Amino acid sequence: MLSDAEKKRYSRQIRLFGEDGQERLLRTSVFIAGAGGLGSVISLYMAAAGFGKIRIVDCDTVELSNLNRQILHGNADVGRAKAKSAYESLTGINPEIEVEALVETISEENIDQLLQGCDIIMDAMDNFPVRYLLNRAALQRKIPLFHGAISGYQGQATTIIPGKTACLACIFPRAPPASVFPALGSTCGVIGSIQVTEAVKYVTGAGKLLENRLLFWDGLNGCLDEMACERNSACRECSDGEY
Amino acid sequence: MLIALPDGSRREIAGDIARIEDILKQLCINPEEVIVAKNGRIVSEEETAGGSDELKIVRFVHGG
Repeated sequence: MLSDAEKKRYSRQIRLFGEDGQERLLRTSVFIAGAGGLGSVISLYMAAAGFGKIRIVDCDTVELSNLNRQILHGNADVGRAKAKSAYESLTGINPEIEVEALVETISEENIDQLLQGCDIIMDAMDNFPVRYLLNRAALQRKIPLFHGAISGYQGQATTIIPGKTACLACIFPRAPPASVFPALGSTCGVIGSIQVTEAVKYVTGAGKLLENRLLFWDGLNGCLDEMACERNSACRECSDGEY
Repeated sequence: MLIALPDGSRREIAGDIARIEDILKQLCINPEEVIVAKNGRIVSEEETAGGSDELKIVRFVHGG
């Protein structure tokens, strides 16, 4: 049951999915992998929307070159752990939810522990090796993974539902070569917002998810495009019948 | 076969059915950086394409 303050805080979105939908958001525990460009947008919108428990993980400290896009952090945070700065921003925007911000490097060794109790995974990473770890953990736990990635004016997003859709390794069987990528804050805004919209839809049961569809944003030409994808029967991650 | 390239340009290629891996090689595109859709559906490099197929090659990104 929502409190009067919660009814007021979330009144504009209660018009979309009712008090029941809002209660579902408040009962949802979210894992956000990364507090960088995508993680900033994702975590701020999820906190503001009232996802009840947010666990955000990042091992880095804030650098001056992050501030063009990583809107969780401010000038005064340069040199501080991103997780600490994230905690302050998120509890500042919504003190009524539970925020856990951890300074950790996500690895094969700790991913199980990090994901404990989480219902959904938000991909805000900057590399594919860790994304593949998130993908495998999502498959094992049978919880959704909301994928997003950006570079410059470009981005992509898809929603992975274990047992139902193609997994990340079906769509991207191998990681692209590692490189320093150009980054524009507004591209993180577009893709991160799409990921949060997907999570809201998933939790409240509204609309049509980006299932088996890879969405592309080309900001330079102002175009959205999509490609259909399907489970790969030879996928190294999800084809063994377990998922 | 009509091919939409990552830079947004389009190219018509005539010829026999070929493996997508070989088509990418012919176009000097690194297969590690792109995904390819044949007639709107993502396919692996082992698939073949030709004739009236439409290929779309998109550079995917990894930043966050």
